[in-house]
This record gives sequence, C-alpha cells and structure tokens, in this order.
Amino acid sequence: MENCRIGVYICMCGSNIAKIVDVEAVEKYISTLPQVALVRTYKYMCSNPGQEMIVQDIKENKLNRVVVAACSPNMHERTFRAALRKAGLNQYLFEMANIREQCSWVHDDSKEATIKAMALIRAAVMRVELHEALESMFVDMCPNSLVIGGGIAGMTAALELADAGYQVHLVEKSDKLGGNVARVDLTAPYLYSARDLLTERITRVMNNKFVHLHLNSKVTSLTGFIGNFTATINEQNSKITKNHKPVEIPIGNVIVCTGYKEFDASRITHYGYGKLPNVITSFELEKMIRAGRIETKEGKIPQYVAIIHCVGSRSMEFHSYCSRVCCMTALKYTHEIKSANPQSYISDIYIDMHAFGKGHEDFYKHTSEAKTLFLMYEKNDRPVIRRADPKDDCEMLIEVNEKLSGEVIEIPADLIVLMVGMEAREDSGEVARLVNISQDKEGWFIESHPKLEPVATTTDGIFIAGTCVAPKDIPDTVAQARAAAARILAKISKGKIEVDAVYSEVNEEICSGCRFCNKLCPFSAIEFNEKEGHSHIISALCKACGVCVASCPSSAIKGRHFTDMQIHAQIDGLLNPVQYIEQKV
Amino acid sequence: MAIRINPKFIDDIDRFGAEDVQLCYQCGDCSAVCPHADDTFKFPRKPMRRLQMGLERKIETSLEPWLCYYCGQCSDQCPREADPGETMMSLRRWLISRYDFTGIARQFFKSRATEILAIIGIALLTLIYLYYFSFSKGNIHIYDGKGAFLPSPFIHEFDLSVGLVLLVFLAINAFRMWYFTMIKGIKVHVPWWLYIKHILTFPWHFFTQKRYAECESKRNTKIFMPWIIHLGLMLGYVIMLVLVMVFIEDLQYGPEIKWQAHIFGYLASIGLIIGTIYFINLRLSKTAYVQFKKSHSTDWVFVVLLFFIVLTGVAQHIFHRTGLIEYANISYVIHLMCVVPWLLRMPVSKWAHLVYRPLAMYFAAIQRDAYKKHEVQSNSFSISVK
Repeated sequence: MENCRIGVYICMCGSNIAKIVDVEAVEKYISTLPQVALVRTYKYMCSNPGQEMIVQDIKENKLNRVVVAACSPNMHERTFRAALRKAGLNQYLFEMANIREQCSWVHDDSKEATIKAMALIRAAVMRVELHEALESMFVDMCPNSLVIGGGIAGMTAALELADAGYQVHLVEKSDKLGGNVARVDLTAPYLYSARDLLTERITRVMNNKFVHLHLNSKVTSLTGFIGNFTATINEQNSKITKNHKPVEIPIGNVIVCTGYKEFDASRITHYGYGKLPNVITSFELEKMIRAGRIETKEGKIPQYVAIIHCVGSRSMEFHSYCSRVCCMTALKYTHEIKSANPQSYISDIYIDMHAFGKGHEDFYKHTSEAKTLFLMYEKNDRPVIRRADPKDDCEMLIEVNEKLSGEVIEIPADLIVLMVGMEAREDSGEVARLVNISQDKEGWFIESHPKLEPVATTTDGIFIAGTCVAPKDIPDTVAQARAAAARILAKISKGKIEVDAVYSEVNEEICSGCRFCNKLCPFSAIEFNEKEGHSHIISALCKACGVCVASCPSSAIKGRHFTDMQIHAQIDGLLNPVQYIEQKV
Repeated sequence: MAIRINPKFIDDIDRFGAEDVQLCYQCGDCSAVCPHADDTFKFPRKPMRRLQMGLERKIETSLEPWLCYYCGQCSDQCPREADPGETMMSLRRWLISRYDFTGIARQFFKSRATEILAIIGIALLTLIYLYYFSFSKGNIHIYDGKGAFLPSPFIHEFDLSVGLVLLVFLAINAFRMWYFTMIKGIKVHVPWWLYIKHILTFPWHFFTQKRYAECESKRNTKIFMPWIIHLGLMLGYVIMLVLVMVFIEDLQYGPEIKWQAHIFGYLASIGLIIGTIYFINLRLSKTAYVQFKKSHSTDWVFVVLLFFIVLTGVAQHIFHRTGLIEYANISYVIHLMCVVPWLLRMPVSKWAHLVYRPLAMYFAAIQRDAYKKHEVQSNSFSISVK
C-alpha cells in the first residue's frame, strides 16, 4: 500500500456540531490514528476559507487522502470533491463522515456523542485509506431525440428541439396530432380557442424538416443507454403493415408525453351515466359546444343545467388526487352554456373550488357575476341523480346535502355534465417498461425529484412531461415539455456525457453466466453476452446500487468505490472501541 | 325531506335590488362583523345563501332581514363586493311584497313606471272626488266655515275613511307577517304568555328606534347622526298623522291659531322638513353612508313624495295665515292629491317598515325566549334519560 497521508477536517458547523460534540477531544483522538498526517477543526468547513484550507494543505503538506467530518454528504460532498480537484487530487480519494445529522443533531449526551463522532471519523479514515483514484468515462451523445406522444406536450417538446437544429422523431399512436387538447373547444380562463393553439403547433410540426413524424406508430423497443439508445418504431396502419418494416433509429434522449385518459363516469353508479340519457361527461359537452348546439338528447334547449365536479377525483373509492383542470373547465362551461343559451340556469355542484392559477380567481368571480348557482357538497357525500316526476318542470333531480346552507336540497336539471377527472392511460405500464421508468400507485410516471427534477426520471436520458406525470393544465404541460427539451439540449450541446466513475464491474473470468444479476438489476444495466457466456454491465446505465454485487454467487462483481475491502474497513473503524478520556474544562 | 331549490329566484329578486348576491361565496365575514347578528338570528350570510338558492319559503318565514338596520359594515368588509347590506335591504322589499296580500307591492317594486302611474292615477281620482263632493260647491275665497272650499268636517271624514282603508290593509299585512314568521317559521312551541311578557318591546322600538342607534354607534361617524334625523322624521310623521286624523278641525280653524294643536304641528313640520331634505341629500350625494349608495326607485318615491306633502302642507298653512286664501286652497288640493296616494301606498311600500320593524323586534324577542325554553327542556330531558 502506498504511503497514505490523510488530512482530517472537523467542522463545527457554527455550533450545530460543536455544542454537543467535543471537537477538540475528537481532534486529539483522530491525530493519534496511523496514516493521519493532519487534523484541523474549523467553524464552517463548507465556507470558502474552509475549502481553501483543504486546497492549501493538500499542496503544502502533500496530503493524498482527505476526510471531512461535517454534515450529510448529500449536502456538501460535491463541494469538497471540487476542492480536491482544485488541488490536483483525484476526487474519489475523499470520504465524508456525517457527524451532524447522524450525531450532534440526534443526541443530547455530549460524551456519547463525542465517542460516536470519533468512531464515525475513524471509519471514514480507515475507508479512505483503501480508496482508489477513479476516472469518469465519457461517452458520445447522439443528437437525435425521440418524443413519444403527439399531444400539446409532445409537439411542443419536438418543436423546441427541432428549432435548435436537431433531429426529432415524434411518434404518435393515433392517426392525428393534438391529443386530448384536440377534444376541447375553448380554454380557461382567457377563453382562447384550443383549436387555434393546436393549429399553429401542428402546422409547424408538419413543416419542420427536423421533425420526423410517425403517425399510427408505436415504439416497440428501446435499447441502450443515455446518448446511445436504439429505438424501434413500428407503423401500425393495417393497409401498409404488410410491406412496412419496423425502423431502427439511433436516439440520444427520450421525452415521454403520453398524456392521460378521462375517468369512466359509469363507475359511479348513482350518477346514472349511461342509463340516464341527459347525464353526459365534460368531453361530450365539449363535442356539443364544438358542434355549436347545447341540447338534450331529445333536441331541446335545457332550461336547467347542472355541472358536477370531482367525478372520479378526490375520493377514496376512485382517485384520491385532484385532477386540477376540472374546476376551471366547469367555470368555462358556465360561460359557454350561458352564451349559447342565455335562458339556461346553471348549478355548479362542487366540493372545493380550486382556482389557484393566474387569472383563475378573477374567472371564478366573473362566473358568479353570470349568475351561476354554486352549491357545495361534502367530499364523501356524493349527489344522487334521479328522474323527475312528469309534473316537474325539469327532467332530473339531483339530491345533495348542501354544505353551505346545511340543507338537503333537490336541484332541478335537464342536462347534467359530469366533470370527469384524469387518470393514467391503460397502456402507461407498457410505456414505463419500454423506457424503464417507474410509476406511482395511480399509474403516473415518477419524476426523479418532485421539486427539483420535475421532468427527469431515474433513468438517464429519459424525460417525462405533461399529463403522463400527473394531472395538469395546458400552461404547466407546455412548461414541462419545454423544460424537458431544454434539459436535452444542454446534454446535446456538450457532445459527450460524463458517466459517473462509480459503477459495478463484472470480472468476466470468474462470471459463471448464471444471469441472476440480469433479472435483479433495477436499471436494466446488465446485458448478457451469449457468445462468451458471461454478463456485462453497461456502466452508463449502472447507478451503483450494489444489488448485483450482493447477489453474485461467484463474487464476480465488484462495486467500484464500494469494494468489499473498503466496506469492511469502514465497519471495523465504526465498531472498534474508542478510548475517551473526558477533558476537565 | 329535501327542499327543492329555485334557480330562477335570483332573477326575480334582481328587481328588488339584490343585484350582486350571486357574487357571495359564503365566507361569512359579513356575519362576523355584524353588530346585530346573534346565536338565534344569524345574518347576513345565511339569508344570502337562501336567496342564492331560491329557498322562498325559508326567506318568507324569516325575521332576519328586519333585524338588520343596514349599517353597511358587512358591505364594507365583503371581499367579493357582494353587498350583503343591500341584499338584506332587497330582502326587506321582497318581504313587504310577500306580506302584502294584494300583490300591488310586488308590482311597485318590480316596475317604477307602474308605481308612478298608480300615484298619478290616485292623485287624479282624488281631484275628481274632491271636485264632485266638495270644492265645486264652495268658494275658493273661503278657507273654512260656511261655504268653504274644503270644509274641515268634510276633510275630517275624508281623512278618517282613507285612514281606515290604510289601517285595514296594514292590519291584514301585519297579520300575514305574524302568520309567516310565528306560525310557519318557528319549529318550537311558543307559549301564549311570551306575547304578553314582551308586549312592551313593540312600543319601545317603535318610539326609540334604539336598534338603529346601536347600529350607528358601532361606526366611526358622527354619533347618532342618521339615527337622530331618522327618529325626528318618524316622530314628526306620526305626530302629524295623529293631528291630521284627529285634530284637523283645530288646524283649519281661523283666524287665531290654536296653539295646543299647532305647537305640535310646528315641531312635527320641522322634523319632517329637516328629515326629508337630509335624506334626499344623502341619497343624491351617495358618499356619506353605504346604505345610501344604491337607491331603489321606491326609495325615491318615498322621500320625494313626502317632501312634496310637507312642502304643500307648509305652503298652505302660510298662505292661510297670511290671508292668501285662494293660494291656500289650491295648495291644499295639491297637498291632498299627494297625501291620498301616499297614505294608500303605505301598506304596500317601504313605509310599512314603520310597523314591521318594531313588530319584528317583538317577535324576535318572543322567538329567542321560545328557543331558549325549548333548549332547556330538551337538555333536561336528555339528562333524565341518562
């Protein structure tokens, strides 16, 4: 083993660490450890002077390993690794001991905490002795992108990438572009025409030479890894299929914009959807509005129109989430119905009015001005629809426990509109498996961080945007599509991508080809070489989770930066007893 | 049993002045700020909700609109500019039309033209009536006594008969109010002796309008200002009505002034003149108080017609005492042409609040006691079961 010169830096984190952990005692103890060349304590290691101190010490004291005992590596590992790079030392010759979250913050006994801090730092010191200098790999980034789904999100993302001058393959399952937005008449709250929004997008997609449109098509397979995928696109139009072969296209990144489907209203039996002819869904009303006539099945102008919110949403039975767009869409309907049939009386039966967006609250107020009757019902006390008597002046009656008046009331209605919520498409599972991303319990695709990484997934090079992630309105969808495109453009512009040096490797000589690891890998990063009879890990896909390392019966897999030796040393460092003589102050 | 809502009702109430009630989203700020809302009578939020939903029966049987004296704090506070104060005012108009068994009130509230035409019609009928039965036989140069243009005994009888019609109509409407609010509108039993216990509430509130003062005192304006003027106007009005109905012959007597009647007449006239001018001014300027920002056509008819009556009455008196008998007689005819439609309009117009308001305070006191009694009884019952 080379001659280790380890520098250990103990951070006080203001008083966050120092008020519980006796840092001076720790310093004294750590300096007794072999290989430790230098120990320092400092108020804030993460500050610029703190980092500068490490850089200086590496240069002046010829340190070749560094341990920082401070907060969680989630917080500042990158910071200190950068300091090592700056000093010309390989960034992997570094280890962090977490003596804040895992020690000072969770203990109130100073002595015990100090002993624990000593053990944590000793573990880090013993581990870092065995660290190897690792170099990141660089792989080529293919500039072509694949966009799955030709709705507003897919078209927007494709145009964004194409406008930057890169090839985009836009794959749409149906025979036309536009997705769910194409089924809508006007949009809330500014009452812009949805058709106008789409026409502009569609025309640009059709005319853009960088966008390769695949209608009636499906992506049947996606292999490879970020920057180096191969997508197989299969055209499904029955007329051509016979003489049409699937095409294979090299792809660098993928954006999934497969959208949503609406909730099936007939699942709520006491709304009578499918049985009562004049109970319709919001999409059926859109159809009427687009046809230019809002009428009952009998062809009459409805005198009383009722709109019921949260159909399938915000209920324990169906979907617990809010579908986000229905409240404003319902308000939009009252405007559209009132302008088509000014004599109509509209009852808006809601749970809570979610008017969170720009211009939404004003829109809500304007709807009130148009004399819409807002009636509130309890979340788990749904309205019940029944046919009215012949002597009534309406066709149906909705019985509901109205929350704001405290009365059980009957609402007359000739036409009832059910605001059906959004749900994940039935083929979303298939798509998730195709591109290797995960879904939540409702079937929505999971982003890699809900706040900071809203369009990225845990698979590098696969992005998600729009309503396949969660219910959202058009502005949010467009923003996500553009965000995903921007992320991809940033990657393409670098030309090459850096692959983290921490990944697993198969020692092909030892590998017996049992293929246990192939099935276990959650990132599909292991491929099997049939010819040679052994497994191979695609380092760009590997996230270094270590499942394969643990599962290999022949111990043929090594986790770089997490070798057995390193981990054993760390455990020894933690568990060996610490001699601690309390200082008298 | 579910109550049927009536989405059309909001269109109907629109003409009564509640133009903004649909803006209310039931936050309840208005009820929180209201100095008069209590545990038994909650408003304005609840009545506003009933109005939005068109629960006519519930509104018809409620006393709440009468317990509001329109200080306007609710309208100032309202985050949605739904104007709860004006909504309560509109509900009072609607209730007046509901209590009125003839249906005339409803027509007047809904159409300004109908009301003005009716007033002109009654005024002309009065003129024709007076012509046939009185001044065609008399001399325009004589004010009272033999050969008088409008002899006081005739006027006395005329006044009394108009007064009787008024009284009958008003009594029937007040009876309907009692029936709606105290029979249909209350779920608990009301013992008869509660009516006796609270009997003084009616005259107390009639003569003091105390609740109006309480409303104003909560506001940061000149203390008692609209209240004192309103009280002066009302008392002047009532005194004048009594004088005209009972002591008309003393008032018309000449040439010397009978001070025991006239001193009240002068005081009443001062109250009426100041009151009408003050309120006309407030309604014109629209700035001083929230409650005068919006004026319904019936509000204008009320105050303007009263102003004319006072003006012609005063003119007639001055002409009579200064010897301009012809002018006095002409003023008198015009005065009567205003007075008759005014009096006949009473039970079907805003004026009726003179009776409904103290009556509502009386009924409310009874209801509060009845509910309290019921609560005590039901509580003791549940304890004995345990």
